[in-house]
Amino acid sequence: MKLPIWLGQFETPIQIARQALLKNKVRTILSILGVVIGIAAVIIVLSVGQGIKGFLIGQLTTFGTDYIEVEIKVPNAAHTSTENATGLALGVQITTLKESDMKEILKLDNVRNAYSGSMTQQIVSYQGANKQTFIFATSASYSDIDPTKVSEGRYFTDEEDNGLARVAVLGPNLKQTLFGDEDAIGKEIKVGRGSYKVIGVMDKRGAQSFFDFDSMMYLPIHTVQKLIIGVDYVTFIFVQVKDNSISDLTAADIIQLMRERHNITDPNRDDFAVMTEAEAMNMLNTIVGAITLLLIAIAGISLVVGGIGIMNIMYVSVAERTFEIGLRKAVGAKSADILRQFLMEAIFVTFSGGVFGIIIGSLVSYLITVISTYLGFNWKFVMSPLYLLLACGVSIMVGLISGLYPARAAANLDPIVALRQE
Amino acid sequence: MENSLIKLIDVHKDYVNEEVVTKVLHGINLEINQGEFVAIMGPSGSGKSTLMHILGFLDKLTTGKYYFKNKDVSDLNEDQLADIRNSEVGFVFQAFNLLVRTSVFDNVKLPLVYSGKKFDKEKVINAIKSVGLYHRLNNLSNQLSGGEKQRVAIARALVNEPSIIFADEPTGNLDSKSGLQIMKILQDLNDSGKTIVLVTHESYTASHADRIIKLRDGVIVSDAKVEQRLHAKMEDELTK
Ligand SMILES: Nc1ncnc2c1ncn2[C@@H]1O[C@H](COP(=O)(O)OP(=O)(O)O)[C@@H](O)[C@H]1O
Ligand SMILES: [Mg+2]
Repeated sequence: MKLPIWLGQFETPIQIARQALLKNKVRTILSILGVVIGIAAVIIVLSVGQGIKGFLIGQLTTFGTDYIEVEIKVPNAAHTSTENATGLALGVQITTLKESDMKEILKLDNVRNAYSGSMTQQIVSYQGANKQTFIFATSASYSDIDPTKVSEGRYFTDEEDNGLARVAVLGPNLKQTLFGDEDAIGKEIKVGRGSYKVIGVMDKRGAQSFFDFDSMMYLPIHTVQKLIIGVDYVTFIFVQVKDNSISDLTAADIIQLMRERHNITDPNRDDFAVMTEAEAMNMLNTIVGAITLLLIAIAGISLVVGGIGIMNIMYVSVAERTFEIGLRKAVGAKSADILRQFLMEAIFVTFSGGVFGIIIGSLVSYLITVISTYLGFNWKFVMSPLYLLLACGVSIMVGLISGLYPARAAANLDPIVALRQE
Repeated sequence: MENSLIKLIDVHKDYVNEEVVTKVLHGINLEINQGEFVAIMGPSGSGKSTLMHILGFLDKLTTGKYYFKNKDVSDLNEDQLADIRNSEVGFVFQAFNLLVRTSVFDNVKLPLVYSGKKFDKEKVINAIKSVGLYHRLNNLSNQLSGGEKQRVAIARALVNEPSIIFADEPTGNLDSKSGLQIMKILQDLNDSGKTIVLVTHESYTASHADRIIKLRDGVIVSDAKVEQRLHAKMEDELTK
């Protein structure tokens, strides 16, 4: 069979490169290793990054997809700033968000429903079983808005909330902790010093999060305000909209309303923050994007290091093979032939590194997914042909870039000088 | 002239290293016809290798004219030089210059890699057969004796069917018996019509050629036919 001429010419540099690399196995393997690590890191970052993103989006959407959230904020600090976060964490009390704000928000056109909420912690006990528990205090409308439903019994009513009823709804894990398989409905439990009646158990929310909602206890907001914390403010209002496509406008209305009610003229002095679901999603994308970028930069550094290693080894190889290069030129190799040969060698190294990197990176990413899923995170293995293409492209690029200078040094050798050196 | 292969007219060669000019060849005039066996002699440093490199397109002359097959080749660029080296010239060096840890076959094949033609395995085999090393085809170069190595180098020089073979001190690293064998192969090649230029500083080796050009300090001091030419084949039989 006659090879087409272009293939015939293409085949030889690859063969030469392969032979040269096989003659120096240890060196070749070491330089491949540098690229394997870099490419594997890139693959892991991309795959796991997408997995985490999917997981976090799943988290966000467990609260629904058509909401606007109003939360307390430290004045003069941006909503997403560390000042705000540390301020609130260190106990700066913002006491201005009230249930009456929610009542006014409910009057807005595009608002379907809303609940106010607050969080606190108490020791909860039942027959000697004690558990430090997060208490999620909400309005009765919570059960109409939140996608997670009650699996046994019922949620509390407005009447119970307004009447400061001592009734509790348990997250499924908390129920399991306190009662095991025993029926919980109708039982009396202790919350702090007070006695509460269990009236319901929630469905599993499933996806774990920074807060484990499945281990919380749900109490009426008024009961918590009056009987447990002794305050009259809330920390957030969760607003459900009718038409999510105009939630931006509704958010603007809410902001205006809140400023009027809180007598705020300077937006910097806002003691609340309003975020739509779309904004929350954007924020998430920004954060995940930034983290991914950072990790890719780290992976990129390892690729650069790998590339420099290859460049080093290529220079050594050129110096060692000066005689061979001279000989090849003496029998008719052009500078371009030598350049191609050394570039092929570099690309061969980085491309094989890329292939192994993809395999190892995919395996590790898959392993991380399996472990995460085992630990209860709702996490999917993501591997796109785009990543593979990207990894291949990057590995070839690294080869080209790190091989170029050594290859040029080789190509420019004078055959006589090169032959004299033996 | 009809069968003129090489013609040099007033060729000078200067090397310039860091602004130091070394004048090596001073006005060489020379003509070599197809089918000749020419020895270039002279003491070490007289410019023999330099002249051979220019003739063999490995180096460029500084001034003067070089006609190869009646074509002016004084001013070819690097790629043209590489092409003409590949198609017209075969080299044999004192140090054999084989690729280490590479088979005899792959060493001989090397010029064909750059010929731009479809690879023809038969050419490699024939070249190896012509130096009597067919039984060593798959041996690695470092498993060969010095004489065998030089024969591989000759096969490599032949494989592209060049017009001329340049041999720079081909017997310099060999014992006399192996050296004689190399001279026999070169004479056989010449007998079958190949033009050969042999560089040597030994008059014994030079006597195997049919013409001797003597160089001294970069000029030709004599150029004469060999009166009593040595025939390697007969010497070989005598020593047996
Ligand atoms: N690249 C070079 N730069 C400077 N001088 C050189 C170079 N190559 C050869 N020479 C000088 O040219 C002279 C002739 O060298 P060469 O042709 O190798 O001589 P021969 O082969 O006759 O021993 C020597 O003096 C050598 O030092
Ligand atoms: Mg010399």
